[in-house]
Amino acid sequence: MQLLWDGLTDAMRLLLSGEPLVVSAAWRSLWITSLAVALAAVVGLPVGAWLARTSMPGNRLLVLMFRAGMALPTVFVGMVCYAMFSRRGPLGPFELLYTPWGIVLGELLLAFPIIVGLSHGAIKSLDPRVAETAWTLGAGPIRRWKTYISEARVGVLLALLTAFARCVTELGIAMIVGGNIKHRTRTLATATAFETSRGEFARGIALGILLLLIALIVAGLIGWLSHEEKR
Amino acid sequence: MITISQLDVHREGNSICSVESLSIPSAGRIGVLGANGSGKTTLLRVMAGLTDEFSGRCQVETDHLQRTFVHQHPFLFRGTVLSNICYGLRCRHRNKRAATDQAMHWLKRLDIEHLANRTTYKLSGGEIRRVALARALAFEPQLLLLDEPLAELDPQATETVCAILCELKNTTLVIASPTPLPEGLVQNDYRL
Repeated sequence: MQLLWDGLTDAMRLLLSGEPLVVSAAWRSLWITSLAVALAAVVGLPVGAWLARTSMPGNRLLVLMFRAGMALPTVFVGMVCYAMFSRRGPLGPFELLYTPWGIVLGELLLAFPIIVGLSHGAIKSLDPRVAETAWTLGAGPIRRWKTYISEARVGVLLALLTAFARCVTELGIAMIVGGNIKHRTRTLATATAFETSRGEFARGIALGILLLLIALIVAGLIGWLSHEEKR
Repeated sequence: MITISQLDVHREGNSICSVESLSIPSAGRIGVLGANGSGKTTLLRVMAGLTDEFSGRCQVETDHLQRTFVHQHPFLFRGTVLSNICYGLRCRHRNKRAATDQAMHWLKRLDIEHLANRTTYKLSGGEIRRVALARALAFEPQLLLLDEPLAELDPQATETVCAILCELKNTTLVIASPTPLPEGLVQNDYRL
């Protein structure tokens, strides 16, 4: 209990003091995750909507694969990315290993099936009159797609939130692909693991609490957005 | 405008709508009457192009952009009444100003001008029907398919809606109803 209390007071101290190492790790976690989720959403939302609104052979299998992909172990994704980005890998010439961009790509792979799987479910469960009404009013494919996303906004925002939460807290990709390099690829999750491994439990807990704070702020923001949209 | 012959719609082995022969001229107004479950909605859905799972022939000489169907329980998109009425107009690339003007014109005609900025989930059943009708009328379709449009309307609203529908000179109108339609609203009835 004392450990938790120390962690909490340490978290407050770190937050208020604005220690550069913590601030840079928090900022890096934020931008890497936001970019990865945004990129995954740009591709994943149309794919989810397309899978929900079309019936073709293999559709169910694809949905099943995306749903299974939602449980991808981050260490596995990290290892796959490592193999791809290493010097002898197909993406070796891009020198993505041990860079934040490498982590972005890894987290994109992690977020993509989550966004496809959850947005597919949200759009699939829409009232069938949504698609019929849009079509009979003359909406083309892009306007119809925008209408589906808009009508399924709560489910879609939840998909984005889930993807964000998974990416911001993941350790495997950031550690294997990023390498936990100080001031370069260290994120809040890798910093937490690092501090804990060297016996700085209170500091580790403090960083974990910071991570939780970020998740809370994003969840609150998304909750507020979905409420605002309804009004 | 619409020619139907030997139309049969089957679902799970049962015939749910059967029409031997039906012809609707351009700008004609016809009522499709029948008891609950007789296939009125199904017939309108076939005409609207919402289903192609039927046998026989259904020829509609109107592009799908020029026809529209209003559900028995209309669905309004989230947002305001005005944004809903502008939807079909925006689909036809009208600019925002022109779409708003046209939408306001139809809101006034249906006596629901005061609802323009109201969010759709705060509307009553009768208001939803009138908004859905205004949305369909706003882009002046050549073929208007209405499924029980007078249900839930009060006598005054019924009178307003009937008057507007009677004034449509260039629109082919097909109205499904389980009960006889008010005098003069349609030129002919087709019984299912």
